[in-house]
Amino acid sequence: MIRMYRAVLSTQWKWARLVIVLGTIAGFAIPLVSIQGAAPPDRGALQAQELLHAVQSWGTLYPLLATALGLLVAIAAWAADHRGRHVHALTLPVPRWQYVLLRFGAGGLLLVAPIAAVLLGTLLATLSATLPPGLQAYPIALTVRFAFALFVAYAVFFAISAGTARTAGIILGTIAALILVQVVGGMAGIDVDLVGTVQTLLLAGPGPLAVFTGRWMLVDV
Amino acid sequence: MFQGVDPRSSIPLYAQIAERIRLAIANGTLSSAASLPSVRQLAAELRINPATVTQAYRELEEQGFVEIRHGAGTFVRELAPGRRARERAQHAAALVRKLLAEARRAGVPLAELQRALESELGVKST
Amino acid sequence: MSNAIEIERLSYRAGKTFAIEDLDLHVPTGSIYGFLGPNGSGKTTTIRLILGLLRARAGRITVLGDAMPAQHARVLAHVGYVPEQPHLDATLTVQELIDFQAAFYPRWDQARAAELVSRFELDAGQLFGRLSKGQKAKLMMLLALAQCGDLLVLDEPTDGLDPVVRRDILSALLAYVSERSATIFISSHLVHELERVCDWVAVMDNGRLIIESPMETFKRGIKRLTVSGAPRELRDAPFRMLRRESENGAGESWVVANWEPGMLAYVQGLGAVVNDVIDLDLEDGFVELLRSFRGSAAGRTTP
Repeated sequence: MIRMYRAVLSTQWKWARLVIVLGTIAGFAIPLVSIQGAAPPDRGALQAQELLHAVQSWGTLYPLLATALGLLVAIAAWAADHRGRHVHALTLPVPRWQYVLLRFGAGGLLLVAPIAAVLLGTLLATLSATLPPGLQAYPIALTVRFAFALFVAYAVFFAISAGTARTAGIILGTIAALILVQVVGGMAGIDVDLVGTVQTLLLAGPGPLAVFTGRWMLVDV
Repeated sequence: MFQGVDPRSSIPLYAQIAERIRLAIANGTLSSAASLPSVRQLAAELRINPATVTQAYRELEEQGFVEIRHGAGTFVRELAPGRRARERAQHAAALVRKLLAEARRAGVPLAELQRALESELGVKST
Repeated sequence: MSNAIEIERLSYRAGKTFAIEDLDLHVPTGSIYGFLGPNGSGKTTTIRLILGLLRARAGRITVLGDAMPAQHARVLAHVGYVPEQPHLDATLTVQELIDFQAAFYPRWDQARAAELVSRFELDAGQLFGRLSKGQKAKLMMLLALAQCGDLLVLDEPTDGLDPVVRRDILSALLAYVSERSATIFISSHLVHELERVCDWVAVMDNGRLIIESPMETFKRGIKRLTVSGAPRELRDAPFRMLRRESENGAGESWVVANWEPGMLAYVQGLGAVVNDVIDLDLEDGFVELLRSFRGSAAGRTTP
């Protein structure tokens, strides 16, 4: 089993390494860049406002990075399988569910790198910056939230790509159709907010997807 | 020795192989105690079923031409001198039978065949 | 277990036109079993059903003593498969594909894999997508052989390849068979290759198995007879008439299957004379068999 996992891991690394490396760099960079607004402490209240504003703007990149990483690593895990029409995987002497689990675990292990990068970046950023009085840094909380969002995104996209191309196509097609209807409706002057409704349903309700909404603040009151 | 073994012929492959080995033994190409190629080697070389080679070797062993020593290979046996001569004679008879069958099929009358044979042999002896 | 593969009353449907009905197939253990049939006859589908890639509607499939597809994980550990189309990832190298495969098969023979890499002259660092058609076929055969399975299922492994590559692949396959008593199930259009290698032959057409017989028996029984004075109708013929044509002038030419020398008496009993009995090779026999099958299926009878 360990041998199989290592084999799956090494092929997955080969397919996803570019994404992982870029994602790790981005994860490390975002916290540092978001803090750079913290100038020497002689500007008082205005500085705190600016800092919070910078942190909030840059903060929107975290859920985007989590989604992008989750999507791309999930695709990398299954693209080759789809290209070969699943023949190779289905003729291996392991049950399908076991193989799926191996792939999921391999991708999961690779995603530790960007999470570690975010942790390092946030710690470094908060340690090197001098925060205005009244503000606190939440590097650990932010990292944990990022990790959670990343795994949710990965799990969702993984589940979609692990299925047949037909299932994945249907789901993506539905999403595209919703967007199209909304755009066309908008052009015709009809105010139909399908995407918004679905978005509200998925993201606002209590559930794992809610982690993506709201503000991602490295530094806050 | 095994050039032209024909899978399409009506003579089974194992028989063709056995025949060629018998002939080689009869005319001295394969001397006593010489070793035959291994089953694996011959099957891979001729690209035929190894079971076919095994069958040929077994038939030869039954007929007393070779000895299969497990692990060591297959070896030509020492033959009584009359045996070789008999084999050659049998082979010659088979060739003649084939010639006669073909001549019949082609509609060549026996007399004409005989004339052709004599003239060919005549050419060779001068 | 006497049969490596056993199919009983298999039924499968795809779309409106393609169907396999009531298929019975038996591959004796240790045999080299040749599977012939025109394109679209259902050969690849049958192979996919055997491997559990497709699910049958009805019937039973038993591979190496276990039911398929129920036991597929256990069975496939002992089955090497070479599909019709290359199924490996184009972005992985030869060595990476070998290493990946090695991790999944308990009986993997690394020495054999290494030996075949050098014998097949494959570059271990070359990407699969960049290999030539012949090299891809060689690698797929290499993987199947190094798994050291008891059964090899090969779907047109050498079709469309140049003669040198075909020889290399066939030699490696036969060397494997002579070292390990494996069963080989090989489907191909290269009738002459099958003729030299197989001890069983099966012919499939239109979703049905029309012949399953030891190779020698089948070949021995396929003859072309020149006959004169035979009646129009042949009652209770002990052989299978594949084609019956009048020759210009005297008599007819019959192509028959399942012929035995003793059947001369039957023909003579009809008041006819058999002028000649000619052996046909497997390809001729195969062609005539299919022609006759199609002819009778369409409701036509040859004069």
